[in-house]
Amino acid sequence: MAIHEKTLIDPDRLVSSDTLVVDGVDVSGHWNTMILPRTLRTYDDGFEKHLKQYAGAENMHRCWQCGSCTNSCTMYAQNTDFNPRYWIYLARLGLTDEILKDKDIIWQCVSCNRCTNICPKDVRPEGVMKALAHWIESEGHGDKCKSTIFDEEFTRQCIARGRIEDSEVMTNFFKNTQQDIKEMALNGWLGIFVARMNKWTELKKGNVFKFLARTPIMHSLHMGLAMFFKPKTKSWGRTGEVLSQYVKEQKELAHG
Amino acid sequence: MSDTVLVVGAGPTGLSAAAGVASIGKKVILVEKEAVLGGAPILSGYAKLVPSGEWAKDAMGRMIKRVEGNPNVTIHKSTRVTKVEGDAGNFTVTFSNGQTANVGSIILGTGFTHFDSINKPEWGFGTFEDVLTTTQMEQMVATGKIACPSNGRVPERVAILLCVGSRDRQIGREWCSKICCTVSTNLAMEIKELSPSTEVFIYYMDIRTFGLYEDKFYWKSQEEFKTKFVKARIAEVTKSPDGRLLVKGEDTLVKRPIVIPMDMVVHAVGMDPNEENPEISRVFGVGLEKHGYIDRGEQYTSSFSSTRRGIYVGGSALGPEDIDTSISHGLAMAMRAVGDLNALVQKAA
Repeated sequence: MAIHEKTLIDPDRLVSSDTLVVDGVDVSGHWNTMILPRTLRTYDDGFEKHLKQYAGAENMHRCWQCGSCTNSCTMYAQNTDFNPRYWIYLARLGLTDEILKDKDIIWQCVSCNRCTNICPKDVRPEGVMKALAHWIESEGHGDKCKSTIFDEEFTRQCIARGRIEDSEVMTNFFKNTQQDIKEMALNGWLGIFVARMNKWTELKKGNVFKFLARTPIMHSLHMGLAMFFKPKTKSWGRTGEVLSQYVKEQKELAHG
Repeated sequence: MSDTVLVVGAGPTGLSAAAGVASIGKKVILVEKEAVLGGAPILSGYAKLVPSGEWAKDAMGRMIKRVEGNPNVTIHKSTRVTKVEGDAGNFTVTFSNGQTANVGSIILGTGFTHFDSINKPEWGFGTFEDVLTTTQMEQMVATGKIACPSNGRVPERVAILLCVGSRDRQIGREWCSKICCTVSTNLAMEIKELSPSTEVFIYYMDIRTFGLYEDKFYWKSQEEFKTKFVKARIAEVTKSPDGRLLVKGEDTLVKRPIVIPMDMVVHAVGMDPNEENPEISRVFGVGLEKHGYIDRGEQYTSSFSSTRRGIYVGGSALGPEDIDTSISHGLAMAMRAVGDLNALVQKAA
């Protein structure tokens, strides 16, 4: 029988095959639709401990599900799927598949801390939201957010040379986030941005000198040069090496 | 006219009442149907008591010693009351050993009966060896080792099911047994203390750790011992092919059915009215309330009166009760009984 109310079923639990013949009977299409059972079959007993390695989740085991956090939540008022109480419950029992269904919204916590201020058991839900977002990102359960990709490129250059080159940070950021610089410059916001910065309108009006007076020629030259010559901070030496070793050790200390 | 007080039952209530009456210089006859004194904490082998954390045998031992060494107290063990005649101030009671006594008032500390989990067969008690009651689990704690009865393995997970034999119209138990939440959170801590690798899950509808038991038991078991509380009333306990138990139900917070493997399941059994209450009601001529506990007479100016003048009732004979409160009921009844007898004496003079 066809399933009429598919909205009531999680899409990932609906299984059907476009072409299927059973015992010579063609049951292609929706005739072979099956619903996978939604029963929870176990808990992940170690997950709570694991999540506690991320800063903020230290008090999550205190939660008794009163719902004060969700009630007071700024984001919940915008989107009722944003439910800190529910995620804390799932995290305590290690129902990670359920948590990951919301991986695209957990990071939206705005850290207003209303939950943390109202929580009668001092669970500090805002911290749990942070820990969950970090867990999702750092263990590859969700896409890296753009700010993280930016930070990575920025840090890479800092450690390598003790300084950054603006143009290189931006070009690599665009590249790593699959943004087409050429397209953005010709038809997108980047072209408009640069043109406005450089008083393009003056050139259009024929005011060449006014235009040139506002154009950062030396800066452009500097940026161009920096594409090829990448100077290090004076006496940088082994500093980068030592720094990365330190960061590595700290991470191991925090996450085991 | 007699100013001797008969105390029936030598549990926390009766022992306290007997010691109370004796302490104001009146004679007490204490009858106990079992061969030992101490009531449920001793007969069922409770481990550490709530909230003191003292071992039951030590705590009850002191209460027993207090009455056993008291010249005002006469104790009859393995004895029942078979007949009560007369009125307040002048009862003639007959014991099962054939003796009779003349007493002025009677204190009932006849207690309760643990719910028999056999009456909830869907939760696996009596079917699977690894399904126990809280009293059995207390006995296991008292041995100092947590192990599955079926094969002696250390359980990875223990589920404690609350409200077994309480708050259940299906089996005619429409009351909350008051103490099982606290006992269960205490038990969870005891299990964890003896077996740190074991995860303890408590399946609940509500948590009713009243008064100061809130943080001393509920919060402590959650915050210090990492007990996990799952909001679900289990529908069924079955066995999986690998020998583990499966608890089935609905996790009402996730709104999903659950079938979770467990190594042991513990029933937090409730407090039934004493199974002998119909007999007690007949012998002593006292009424029972609608659940089958002994009924109260007047509540405010003659607290702990039964429906028959001169007979007092307290502790878990009145309804589910904790040990500390039962002990204070005992003392209050001693006060009431002796006070009422004094009034009778003055009236006669």
